[in-house]
Amino acid sequence: MQFWKRLQSIDRRWIYLVVWLVVMIPLIFPFKIKSVATAPVESLFTYIDTMPENKGLIISVDYSPDTQAELQPMLVALLRHAFAIRRPVGILALYPQGLGLGEDAIRQVTAEFNAHAKSGADSVISGREYVFYGWTTPPITPMLGMGQHIAKVFPVDYYGQPTESMPAMRRMKNYDDVGILVSIAAASTPLSWINLAQTQFGIHLGCGITAVSAADYYPYVNSGQFTGMLAGMKGAAEYEELLEQGMVKRGMDWKLRRKGTEAMSSQAAAHLAIIAFIIIGNIAFFVTRRRKS
Amino acid sequence: MNISTDPWVWIAAILTLAIFSFLYRENPFYRAAEHLYVGLANGYSITVTWHLLLVPILINRIAHGSSIGTKVWLIFLAAIGALYFTRFIPKVSWLIRIPIAIALGYSCGLGIPRAIDAEIIRQLKATIVTRAQFSHWDQALWAILILIGVIATISYFFFSAERKGALKPISYVGIVFIMVGFGASFGYTVMARISLFIGRLQFLLGDWLGLIR
Repeated sequence: MQFWKRLQSIDRRWIYLVVWLVVMIPLIFPFKIKSVATAPVESLFTYIDTMPENKGLIISVDYSPDTQAELQPMLVALLRHAFAIRRPVGILALYPQGLGLGEDAIRQVTAEFNAHAKSGADSVISGREYVFYGWTTPPITPMLGMGQHIAKVFPVDYYGQPTESMPAMRRMKNYDDVGILVSIAAASTPLSWINLAQTQFGIHLGCGITAVSAADYYPYVNSGQFTGMLAGMKGAAEYEELLEQGMVKRGMDWKLRRKGTEAMSSQAAAHLAIIAFIIIGNIAFFVTRRRKS
Repeated sequence: MNISTDPWVWIAAILTLAIFSFLYRENPFYRAAEHLYVGLANGYSITVTWHLLLVPILINRIAHGSSIGTKVWLIFLAAIGALYFTRFIPKVSWLIRIPIAIALGYSCGLGIPRAIDAEIIRQLKATIVTRAQFSHWDQALWAILILIGVIATISYFFFSAERKGALKPISYVGIVFIMVGFGASFGYTVMARISLFIGRLQFLLGDWLGLIR
């Protein structure tokens, strides 16, 4: 009785310490967990993978550093996928904080591909394989304006270069040339993309979102408004797994770091610990209540 | 162990630990890091807005390049936008209503018809059970479950009639669906918070201390 009573009034800092250890130890000594792709992730992957050659991918970086851990691996995985299958990519940010994160991911992925490039044609070059549009506000401007003429919304890219004459821009003039637009977001911007861009122009949309908002987005996946969805770090890990399998099948040497997958052993351990906390807490509650009555 | 020699990594690591110190208790290190974050985020946004928006789109186009008509139009729009600052002058603070009214009117006019289509009509269509869904048993099961869930949950929020008769059991079913929804949201929230913590630990153990790759 005394034990259960004491358990109910335990200092929360002990719980923090346990969670800290449970998350940290598997990061240092990881155990293998295979990520099995869920239907929304598989659907997004398959759609991008089988996109016609004349269609491009646009990624909207709609998050800030506070959700970087969950969303940045998604951006990295999507860029790797598009560059590997040689589809033109456009990257924009709807909020200024997304610019630095977008640039980080572009720099990382272009370096990975260019390190293995055998010729200039194999390299990934700004303006030719991708365009970093930058940022403009309010969000409604790019959402609707890009449906007519992307170069009018972004006359110069993030680095100040005129976009109109870029080869990648000639392949992607407006939404007609875009296979899918993926909004990676920590807020409700994917819904704005549905309301504005999809309703008016019928563009295919995908989303990468934080796990907190995943439950709110499932109805839009179910209705087909989102072709696919990556939910949280787990979604990123599933996409990384599919991407590696797909690229290895194509005979590519794919030994790239998978930050989402690396975190899965810690994530699993933390979930088990929290389930144990919930069960122990409930037992303690019911035992002490029965004794009282 | 391969500790970083990059001073920026050290600054980021110290600030991360300062924020984590709040888990022990409120302290000046946490306060300092918190204020620094808010200040930096605002400063960054203002700088980006100035360099990527106001200078190329407004100032440069007014100063050189555009036709007289465009210049007048841009100056007029900038003046309307500048009315936001009148809230700092009590005598003319009512003028702030002009840009707010324009922004609200524009957003509502553009957003409402599209939201009705995207968030009501398309969602209603997604709840309709069609013959095609019965080609696979699992699809049919989910479609029926969604239909029951939507009707039961809406019934729970039907406040125009007393909850008795047929409405009573249906609204109880609605409660079950709402609770399942809460459970899913809570589960996802736990996953999200743990993910953020993992991200920081990956930085501390990897980029800073070099304990993991």
